[in-house]
Amino acid sequence: MGLRDILTGRSSVKQPATHERLFALSTAYVTLETSYDITSAGVAGIVVQSLATSDFQSVLKDTEEVVKATAGDSGATVQTTDDEFGFRWVIVRTPAVEDLVVAINGVSSSIEGGGYGERLLCAVFSFKGAEGAPINFIYNYKRGSWYPFVPAAGDKQRNTERELQLKAQIGGELPIEPELERWFPLWGVPF
Amino acid sequence: MASSKRSAFGKDGGLQTRMVFTMFMLGLLYAALIGALLATSTSVLLIVVIAVGLLSVQIVGSDKIALRTLGAHEVSASDEPQLHEIIERLCIQADLPKPKIAVIEARMPNACALGRSQKSATICATRGLLNLGLEPAELEGVLAHEVTHVINRDVMVMTIASFFATIAALIIRFAFFFGGGFGGGGRDEGAEAIELVILVSVLVYAISFVLLRALSRYREFAADRGSAVLTGRPSALASALIKISGTIDRIPRNDLRTAEGMSAFFIIPARAKNSLMNVFADHPPLEKRLAALQRLEAQLQGTGR
Repeated sequence: MGLRDILTGRSSVKQPATHERLFALSTAYVTLETSYDITSAGVAGIVVQSLATSDFQSVLKDTEEVVKATAGDSGATVQTTDDEFGFRWVIVRTPAVEDLVVAINGVSSSIEGGGYGERLLCAVFSFKGAEGAPINFIYNYKRGSWYPFVPAAGDKQRNTERELQLKAQIGGELPIEPELERWFPLWGVPF
Repeated sequence: MASSKRSAFGKDGGLQTRMVFTMFMLGLLYAALIGALLATSTSVLLIVVIAVGLLSVQIVGSDKIALRTLGAHEVSASDEPQLHEIIERLCIQADLPKPKIAVIEARMPNACALGRSQKSATICATRGLLNLGLEPAELEGVLAHEVTHVINRDVMVMTIASFFATIAALIIRFAFFFGGGFGGGGRDEGAEAIELVILVSVLVYAISFVLLRALSRYREFAADRGSAVLTGRPSALASALIKISGTIDRIPRNDLRTAEGMSAFFIIPARAKNSLMNVFADHPPLEKRLAALQRLEAQLQGTGR
């Protein structure tokens, strides 16, 4: 945001960063699985800010149809749900992390193609640690960066220690968000 | 890129023109004050030094002072989960680091944003706002308005814009204290120059007061607009504004004593009663804000211009 934008109070919403970094998860997962015994939960979701306009809704509908059609070939299932904050979740289930990444990228590309790239918030990929505890990796579309999100026991508690360990373990392969104050939690993930 | 071409909202050129014009007028006014100051060779320099010191104190310490004045206390994610979750999502969307989140224990429903930079920002909501029973989307609209103030660095812009008005006010105050010394005695050139400075200061102060209020109103429109762009739901903010202002009008004024001075930073001014003198208001009238949001909704739905 330049000085001119500050002076005139102009607002625009940032478009998504490049897609390459999303695909970094595919290779990083090999390390996660072999070295750290973290396995995929076989599910991922993308969070989209839903606009109440007919144009946006038809883009969303087309997106779901396209992804359902392509995902069906690999045996993946696709479902959508709205959360309490009015955000739309497109949820993909398939065992292979590679397929999840491709399907999620399919959703975001289709929404961007429809002209609503700035409404993409983030994508969440679910994993399980050796102890069976849930581990999430969240991809922030605006920044094109990843961060771990590990919920802990208790109401809306997170295991920051584990998250920092994960950063140290996988930071070399996955572009991790450097600013900790941007490691936004996502509670109530609907899967 | 094709996708960025089709933005849901057009540009509001008129608002930006008015804002730039207001800032230009302020600049011109302040140049006159500086000119008058330079015309005198006396201890005016001292006043400037004091004022610069005050400004730095204001910029560095104002958030803490304001937070204390308002009786705001920071709340954790487990205290106010909904507030945190809404702001977190807005921050992802706005590409901002997470601000501090505070609650003011007051019945009046309101919200404000403080802090000189994006990193040191605090977003405050009153208990009254949280208890108002707004829909999540409405609360989101209100908070997005505050998030936009953070994005636009409104506290910084207004502090700097009012810097010379503060100097002018200081000079006038000094003139009151030392008034006898200036008026009496021999009418030499120095005294005349000082009288000129005081006269200019009074003018600068009076005119900049009106200009600053206008600038503040334009920043409010910009924040409403930013909220609509950020959430994609202009009507949710409109609905929230109606609910908030309706409640404020019904609540007695006693509650607002502490809040009145801070009015510029709130989403709805502490005294929302229809003031006759709109030029002195730091917030635009509700009807105008609703009309602007209505235009944005029309643009979004593709039925507007």
